Amino acid sequence: MMPIWTKSGKKHAVTLLKVQDCHVLKYVSKEDSDGKSPKLIVGGKNGSPFSISESEMKIFREAGVPRKQKITSFKVTDDALIKPGTPLYAAHFRPGQVVDVTAKTIGKGFQGVMKRWGFKGQPATHGQTKTHRRPGAISTNKASKVYRGKKMPGRMGNIYRTSFGLKVWRINTKHDIIYVNGSVPGHKNCLVKVKDTKLPGYKDCNKNPPFPTYFADGGEELPEDLYDEEVFQFTEPSITYA
Amino acid sequence: AYLRSSDAEPAKFKPPPKPVIIDKQKQTTERRFLSPEFIPPRGRTNPLKFSIERKDMIQRRKVFDIPEFYVGHILAVTTAEPNANDKTSRFVGICIQRGGKGLGATFVLRNVIEDQGVEICYELYNPRIQEIQVLKLEKRLDDNLMYLRDALPEYSTFDVNMKPQSYLNYEEVPVNKLQVRMKPKPWSKRWERPKYNVKGIKFELPEEKMKEAQKWSQPWLEFDMMREYDTSKIEEKIWKEVNEALKK
Repeated sequence: MMPIWTKSGKKHAVTLLKVQDCHVLKYVSKEDSDGKSPKLIVGGKNGSPFSISESEMKIFREAGVPRKQKITSFKVTDDALIKPGTPLYAAHFRPGQVVDVTAKTIGKGFQGVMKRWGFKGQPATHGQTKTHRRPGAISTNKASKVYRGKKMPGRMGNIYRTSFGLKVWRINTKHDIIYVNGSVPGHKNCLVKVKDTKLPGYKDCNKNPPFPTYFADGGEELPEDLYDEEVFQFTEPSITYA
Repeated sequence: AYLRSSDAEPAKFKPPPKPVIIDKQKQTTERRFLSPEFIPPRGRTNPLKFSIERKDMIQRRKVFDIPEFYVGHILAVTTAEPNANDKTSRFVGICIQRGGKGLGATFVLRNVIEDQGVEICYELYNPRIQEIQVLKLEKRLDDNLMYLRDALPEYSTFDVNMKPQSYLNYEEVPVNKLQVRMKPKPWSKRWERPKYNVKGIKFELPEEKMKEAQKWSQPWLEFDMMREYDTSKIEEKIWKEVNEALKK
């Protein structure tokens, strides 16, 4: 995570996400995916082909691509289909777009009710016998049962969670890095899924994206760094409020 | 000895050898200073992140000159302030702490203005900073002068209109071995304890208190191999990289 300053002098914290060897693996048609739209299966970050079974390697062999550590599916419209085997780059996103990021949260192991659900616990003194971090009562007398889904101690973390509405401030095309506003679930160097926002308030932000994706051999030469209009670039002189 | 030439001609006039001027200042090697925020901390982050951050930091240093300074120097910082009359605000103070790594590096300046102690934490790479001027060069005995908060106010007062002290590119930065006198206890932190390793305070506490403070010493810490972080090679590499980039 890094600070980034806007031209008005405000500081924002930014997370760096690297697009590492992403390829489109498979196209699943509308009927196959049992949904209302076709899907594209995408894989990221190369790995060793020897630790998975042959049936799993089949998808990678057909696409002509090394084995990928993480596979996700994206629901796509019919006019945005891409041929399996095309690489995807960070320039697929542009500064100013708004994005959702999904990842597995940091695993905390078996945790008590105070850390896992934020319960208040009991006082430290004033006669409390062996009760300082316990849940207390778990149901009422009338119910005479414990409801399903009652918040209790258990394994915390290591589940998929999404941060919504994160703005993209900057893109580095040379190293394929996306600078995303705020924090992102997951530990350092974890695998992450980046998608366009589902929030209705940002529908106008994702205008004129590279459609269906940014092709490296398309002849379009992009500069090494793409900045949002409001971002202060370090080549400019210091800010003055004239 | 006289030159006896076989010829009858007198010996030719030989001028005395030209004096060789040894310029001691130039002869001494350049002082190598790498700002501490360039050194990456120990951790599992991808080194690519540090190299990209370093590029940004070098880019900022090319446009705006960040002078070499240590904890104990007296600096004057002018920042852009939208609500001020002339849109700038100037603060003079002694640097008590330098923290943070990478672009988020900060330094805290302390001064006492009209009997009120004021500390301001500035970010080195904040684009609103317009000028950093070193007024007085002096290193102190410690890396962290937070104990000035509990010292007598005279040790933290500095004249706001101080003139910048002129200095040559000395070989070493002068070290001020000042021992500061403290206000009566209680202090904000127990500075006599060995964990803070403070050398710049003149403790006027009785002997028993000093001995009791030594109970909290951890003499095994300096031999702990897991805490070792040898930055000499990393520093050299980064120093070369930064110097070459700044010369361009």
